[in-house]
This record gives sequence, structure tokens and C-alpha cells, in this order.
Amino acid sequence: MRQGDIVEAVQNPAMDSPGPTIHAPSWRGAVRWLLLLPVVLVLVVFFIGPVVFNLVESLRLPNGGFGFDAYRRILTDAYFFEVGLQTLTLAAVVTVVCLVLGYPFAYAVARSSGTIKALLIFVLVAPLLVNVVVRSYGWMIVMGGGGLLDTASRALGLPAVNLMYSWLGIVIALVHVLLPFMVLSIASTLEAVDLNIEDAASVMGATPLQALWHVTIPMSIEGVVTGCIITFTLTVGSFVTVMLLGDNSTMVLPLLIYQRLTTVGDWGAAAALGIVLLVVVMSLLGLQAAFRRRKAGTA
Amino acid sequence: MNHFNLPLRFYVGAMVFFMLAPILVIVAVAFTPSEFASFPPRGVSLRWFEKVLNDPTFVGALWNSLRLGLVSTLLASVITVPATVFLVRHKPPGARALQTFMLSPLSLPTIILAVGLLFLNAKMGLGSSFWSLVAGHTVIVVPYIMRTVFAVYSSANAEIEHAAAVHGASPFAVFRHVTLPLLKPGLLAGAIFGFLMSFDEVSVALLLSDPKTVTLPVSILSYLVHNSDPAVAAVSTIQIAIAVGTLLILERLFGVRNLMFSSR
Repeated sequence: MRQGDIVEAVQNPAMDSPGPTIHAPSWRGAVRWLLLLPVVLVLVVFFIGPVVFNLVESLRLPNGGFGFDAYRRILTDAYFFEVGLQTLTLAAVVTVVCLVLGYPFAYAVARSSGTIKALLIFVLVAPLLVNVVVRSYGWMIVMGGGGLLDTASRALGLPAVNLMYSWLGIVIALVHVLLPFMVLSIASTLEAVDLNIEDAASVMGATPLQALWHVTIPMSIEGVVTGCIITFTLTVGSFVTVMLLGDNSTMVLPLLIYQRLTTVGDWGAAAALGIVLLVVVMSLLGLQAAFRRRKAGTA
Repeated sequence: MNHFNLPLRFYVGAMVFFMLAPILVIVAVAFTPSEFASFPPRGVSLRWFEKVLNDPTFVGALWNSLRLGLVSTLLASVITVPATVFLVRHKPPGARALQTFMLSPLSLPTIILAVGLLFLNAKMGLGSSFWSLVAGHTVIVVPYIMRTVFAVYSSANAEIEHAAAVHGASPFAVFRHVTLPLLKPGLLAGAIFGFLMSFDEVSVALLLSDPKTVTLPVSILSYLVHNSDPAVAAVSTIQIAIAVGTLLILERLFGVRNLMFSSR
């Protein structure tokens, strides 16, 4: 199949070898496209398919026709609206906390080397592979009534601590889940920042804080934006942590979808909420793509 | 790090503690001899491991998770590798769009995939619960395999394949004896990472599993809803050991940094 390419490459030495253009017989070119078929087929049926079914289900009326009733229902219902607002607020808070806590950590990762760097990355990546259910259980032991913090606090004569079923507990556990994504995406851009520029700023008389604010942070802005969008989208879509550490007062969108489906059997609302969630995630990803294009345009 | 000032060092230490705390607590509780989860544990005992390993619910779930992960990863590899090879070597028109398409399951919240698969299942019927789980997990694993195979194969030298073809190897022989060994490190890393993602997945497994196909995370989840004895900690410790062990293998083979930095 490659013989034709080689002959042409020999005859035409200017041809770029890693990406040869194909001048094989055309039926072979057509046959090659079949290599894409299995994966495209599987993704269309089991990835696009479920999204389409979700959309269809959200538009289906009880009488068998189609309409926007489910959307009207969820968008005018005060409870659904509140849950949506809570979901976005939670994601915003988790993102900001991850950014503030994560930036210095990312700086340390980017500026360290050897064993320490490997250890820091291991510390970030290892929890990612521990199941969210398991990690939530860990936080239940740490933060629940009679737990680690509670026992320590009582021993010191301080008031009892129970962060179960509270937003604070949920935020702590979610920050733990999402911090690695934030740190790793910031660290990857910080690594590309030339240390000499930072040094130059301080040689020119900038205080460390000025150098950080005017030099380091602007140069790592791409990692910051990517990290924030990843953190936000993953928080908006996460529900196991909230399910285990929260209760009905700390409801979020994905959990509500799950509940509508399994306890009430309200397919229409579940599907419509799913589409709302999808729209939120897609617009964030669109935002990121737009930012990347702008960045590429100015560079 | 070595030349960092004291506050930053202190801060990094605190963050490391924060990241490891819930995991260390679980491992400590798993070895507790008492009836309920207490910290710090009084003494050391293996009774909860014994209980868990004799409990058919957990052992069955662990087996289900391993089986599901292996089948989905294998299936995802078989369908993803040919397509990725085609995209890298032949750069067909629209290659970028196709690549983005194959990576896009990463961005879809799994709850939407799970709910959609449930609807799909109800309307069309995917057969058994096991195969609908495989369908969902294959979709989740494809991007991980695609990403590492793409990276490794893009940097491999196409001349070697050309040379084999010039010397008369059939397209299949070129693939089997040249291409496959070239992309093997990427395939291995992607497959291990993909397997871990399947092993870790909760949403699809929660909505589509039945009592016979329930996976380890889902069985821990439903156990937690009603109990909180140290048995959960023991199962979780087993899960942690599997995850960390696999991570170390992955690090050996490929370097975890390369996987994470290109993530999403």
C-alpha cells in the first residue's frame, strides 16, 4: 500500500516524508476510510445516540406528541430554578477556591525538579485514581459528627464540628476532587514561562508581588482559564460527592436529574434538565475555544 | 522547590497533607478492630478485610468491575487504534474534526450519557445490563486510548513502515510487525488509564447496572447509604491499592505527567 508513496518520494525528494500524500489506487483510498468506521459507528450510536434520545425524551408530551412542556415546567418552577442557581454558585465557589489554593501549588510544581517534583505530581494524581465514592467516605470520617475534626475539637474544649449535610463540607470535598485538574493545567503553562523574565522583573526593581502580578500571572493566563473551565464544568456535572455528603437542602442539577429519574420516574423533567446541563457545559467549552482562538490570533 | 522560601514550603506541605488526608484516614480505619469507624484506631486488626473478602456482594462487585473494565478497554482499543493510525498517517481531510469528535466524550457529563443510555435502552433494548454498561464504558475509554496512541504514533518515524512495505510486506504484515510495536507504549498507557477510568466510573454504572452486574464503586455507594462500618474502609483500601499499584505501573511505562498535562 505504501509502494506508490515511496516511488514518488524518491522521484520527488522535496516531498515531506512524515506526511506523504497518498496516490494509491482510488479504491484503496476509499477502503482506508473504513478504518474509521468502527469507532465512528460506536460513538454515533452510543455517544451521540444517548444525547439525541435525551433531547427527544425532553420534547415528548404525555399524549404522544412533541412540545416544550417539560422545559416550561422546569424553567418556571421555583425549586428547579433554585437548584440550577445553587449548582452554578457551587461551581463558581469551588472554581475560585481551587484557583486561589492551586496557583501557589502549581508554581511550586512548575519550579521544582527531580524527586520533589515527581512526589508533588504523585500526590496530585494518586487521589484522582481513588474513587469519588471512597474519597467522600474519607471526608465523612474526617468531617462528620464523631469524626476526626469533631473529636479533636471537643478534646480542645471547642464546640462540636459536623460538616455533613452542609455546603462547606461539600465545597471542601469537591475542592479535593478538582484541585489536581486546576494545578496541573496551570503548572503546564507555568513551566513554559521563562524564569529569566521573572528575574529580569526583579532586577528592574519589581517586588516579588509585583513580578507575580504583572509578569508571572499574565504569562500563565491560558492555564488559568483552561483550569477554571475544566474545574467549573466538572463541578457542574459531579453528583456523587453531593449525594453522599449532602441532603435535600444541598441539591444540585445532576443529582436532581438522577432523583427525578429513579424516585419519581419523571422522564420529561430529567431529560430537559439534562439538556440544560448540556447547554451549560457546551457554552463553557465554546468560551474556552473562543479564548484559545483569540490567544492564537494575538500570538 | 529546594530554593523556595519558608512560607511556600509550609504551604505546599499543608496542601500535600490536604490531598492525602482522606485517603490515609480510610486506610487507617480499615485496620481498626472496633465495630464502628473511629479515628485514631485502637489497635490493628484484619477482621474487616476478612469480612469483606468473604462477602459475596463485594467480591462479586470487584469481579464485575474488573470484567467490565477489561472488556470495555479491549473493545475501545480494537476500534480506536485503526482509526487513529489512519488519522495520523494519512491526514485525511477533516482529520482535526474527527480527532475532536473522538475526544469529545471527555467533556460530556457522565450523568447525561447515563440517562441517555437508559432512554436508548428503554426504547431499543441493548440486551443485557452488562452489554449496555460495556457500551457506555467503551465510549468513555475511547478518548484515553486515542490520545496516547495519537501522541506516540505521531512522533514515530513513518520511514520504518515505508521500508517494510518496500520490502514486500503486506499492509497487514506492516501493521502487525511494524506499526503495532511502534504505537505499543501509547496503547498500553492509554489502555491502563482507560481501564482505571472505567473501574472508577459511577454514573453509568449506577443507572444501568442490575444486582448481577453491579460494580465495585456502586456497591460501596449503596452500602454507604445504609451502613458506615469499617467494612467500607476495607473495600476502599483494596480499591486504593489497585489504583495506586496501576498508577505506579503506568509511571514506569509512560510517565504520568505526559498523560495528565494533555488531559481534557
